[in-house]
Amino acid sequence: MAAEGGGSGLALYALRRALNAIPLILGVVVVNFVLIALAPGDPVTSLIGEYPAPPEYVERVRHDFGLDRSLPERLGLYLVNVAKGDLGFSFANRQPVLDLLLQRLGRTLILMLSTVVVATTVGLVLGVLAVRKPGSLTDRGATGFALLGYAVPEFWLGQLLILVFAVSLGWLPAGGFRSVRVEYTGLAAVLDTLKHMILPMAALSFRYMAITTRLTRASLLEVMSSQYIVAARGRGLSEAAILWRHALRAAALPVVTVIGYNFAFIVAGSALVETVFGWPGIGRLMYDSIYTRDYPVLLGILLFVSVTVIIVNLITDALYAVLDPRVRY
Amino acid sequence: MPWLNPKRALFVLAALLLAAPALAQDTPVKGGTAIVVLGSDPEHLNPGISTSYPVGAVGANVFSGLVRLAASGRPEGDLAESWTVSDDNLTYTFKLRQANFHDGTPVTSADVVYSMVEIEAPNHGRFKTAYDKIASIEAPDAETVVITLKEPYAPLLSLLSVFDAPVLPKHLYEGTDPLTNAANNAPVGSGPFKFADWVRGERVEIVRNDDYYLEPALLDKLIFRIVPQDVGRSTALEVGEADLLWGFYMPPADLPRLAADKDINTWTGITIPALYFVFINTNTPGLDDARVRQAIMYAVDRDQVVEQAQGGLGQAGSGPFGAGFPYAYDEATDYRTLYPYDPAKAKELLAEAGVTGLKLRYVYDSARGAFAAAGDIMRDQLKQVGIDLVLQPAERAVMVDRVYKGDYDLSMQSFTSGGDPAIGYHRIYHSAEPGTPFVNATGYADPDVDSWLAEAGGLADQNARAVYYHLLDEKLSKDVPVMVMFDELASEASSANLRGMRTLLDQRDGLEFLWFAKP
Repeated sequence: MAAEGGGSGLALYALRRALNAIPLILGVVVVNFVLIALAPGDPVTSLIGEYPAPPEYVERVRHDFGLDRSLPERLGLYLVNVAKGDLGFSFANRQPVLDLLLQRLGRTLILMLSTVVVATTVGLVLGVLAVRKPGSLTDRGATGFALLGYAVPEFWLGQLLILVFAVSLGWLPAGGFRSVRVEYTGLAAVLDTLKHMILPMAALSFRYMAITTRLTRASLLEVMSSQYIVAARGRGLSEAAILWRHALRAAALPVVTVIGYNFAFIVAGSALVETVFGWPGIGRLMYDSIYTRDYPVLLGILLFVSVTVIIVNLITDALYAVLDPRVRY
Repeated sequence: MPWLNPKRALFVLAALLLAAPALAQDTPVKGGTAIVVLGSDPEHLNPGISTSYPVGAVGANVFSGLVRLAASGRPEGDLAESWTVSDDNLTYTFKLRQANFHDGTPVTSADVVYSMVEIEAPNHGRFKTAYDKIASIEAPDAETVVITLKEPYAPLLSLLSVFDAPVLPKHLYEGTDPLTNAANNAPVGSGPFKFADWVRGERVEIVRNDDYYLEPALLDKLIFRIVPQDVGRSTALEVGEADLLWGFYMPPADLPRLAADKDINTWTGITIPALYFVFINTNTPGLDDARVRQAIMYAVDRDQVVEQAQGGLGQAGSGPFGAGFPYAYDEATDYRTLYPYDPAKAKELLAEAGVTGLKLRYVYDSARGAFAAAGDIMRDQLKQVGIDLVLQPAERAVMVDRVYKGDYDLSMQSFTSGGDPAIGYHRIYHSAEPGTPFVNATGYADPDVDSWLAEAGGLADQNARAVYYHLLDEKLSKDVPVMVMFDELASEASSANLRGMRTLLDQRDGLEFLWFAKP
């Protein structure tokens, strides 16, 4: 049926999609739990240091963290706890997982959201500039950038940026979330963190900038040759008006989709970038937790990421519907 | 008066003026904040329940032990003002100083007994080795602690330092589970620094304790900054975002670059002797023959491993207990003369043992660059004598699991001596507790070796200990359950401005002596 209902149709559609997500999340939790539990390596190893620990200690740690129970028992307990909003207790950090995640969430979100905004904006602009004169120097520059940006790994780029801008030029801090030597407050603290954000954000956004540039360019080229653009030209509209007002709206559709699609990859990328820059966010917590086999934290992060990806997909689908009236709910 | 001669007076004055800046630089100044690099967050801040490196780094400066180990390794009084040892070497009586915990509560002998018996004995890997030899720990009055041994045990005092037996506040731990007590994340000690703040993933801050019972710290504040990537750690020092980087967290390859920087001082040397070695799984067919293990010793050029894998920070292995303890070293069995690099000799021994086409798995911690590089070198060199080495990098958690369950053929490891071969090295060769992480993983078991290790660890007199270590040197150099690769050279890099490092034996200890030449 056509979407004459407007808002209510959209809301119903969103609700149905959200309900569909519940079994999906449950499935993700179960698969994550089993995979992590089956991975080799013992969490106790990283807790005891480099000397043999007394056997009583090892036993008590196992008992305290429920590691002495069977896998189905642990899984059942975990599901019940998650349903109650309890994500468990971190082995390595000796803190509730939820507290840990909340402490780090803000830092990862500002990095990720600014990456999405910057990468999308720059990518769109570069894509449009490239299409204005196909085959020009600008076009070839943008295409080359798109190719390079896609090929360069984030962690390598991050290290390169540190070498150039922190070590050689000394313009920006080499890592961390804020200055350690001086403690700023108020606006100075915000500026300090912004300064610390520039390099990790650049390292993280390069790839998505490239993807967006390429995608914008390709879909704009397609749209520009379509009938209605020809018609618009016939009506005597200026090239700029055609490009920015008509073509870009249509061309932005795949870009919006790809943001949702890329979100999970941005999370993975932030794990590497946060590690390179010592950015104390969720990505680095994930990296550390893999290393120490901190199961509850890993599961908590994976759950958080899965739910976020599902929500972002939901939002992008809805956005798609708003941007393209042809989409039916 | 001749000394009033104006020319001479001028000369003296000039000399004094010239010397003044130098003198000023050598006089410790109070104040400032130093930033020390850690590679990962401590799991918690209670050194009484873990032997983890970062826990010790923060803990050693917040807590105190009965004794502390001077740079020479000699125990000196910390919370204990003095102690006496009975003639039979069985009873140690400690007199405590007047000291307070950071919450104002006095430190008493009850805290010492409680920490050792209730917290450290069941939870601390190194202290447990001492506790197994202890008959009783008593507190006859508030200032006295009496430790009675079942049998003489030479390294006892070394195991009473803050790293192995920190004195924790009984009033905060009694009646709780020490593993989950909230004070583990906000410690209350009696050491030179007080815990101030901990932002996980970012920093731990400690500030000077003005009520400290010894000379108060010079710095106002110490920040342990967490830098996860090894490249990032050296960089933090280079760009001035950190002041002190211990070799434990520094790739050896970075040292020459840091040394060339005029704003950075580097140091290499020996603090606590430590060994890098390769376990040989004696249960693997082929490797169960001592001649094959000897062949591996001849086939690997250990000098080359030191040069290329360790950036020169080491000294080719000299024996089962390294070169760090003169009484445990025997010139007659020095590996450098006993097993020089000699591929022909290796081939000969393999032929004699009738072993051909040996294919071995080399399992190592993938995060340790030196282990990977050593693997590459060994693979090339063992190939020359017909042994095929397959490199199997694994994450640390997986590596530990595999190696101590015997699922490997060769594995490189590094162990610290802990200040005495009986603390750190005996576990490599002793046959007890198979399958336990960080003890004997080679499957080597020899009753003579077991009993000599017990004798060598029990005697207080070094000459008497030497007799047993020489027996061990001879036996182990024939059996070769492990290939001792090299004695580690410790290293450190710091901002040129920082002074007072390594005043005590452990690089992590005694940070109260740090100060800035130009605050």
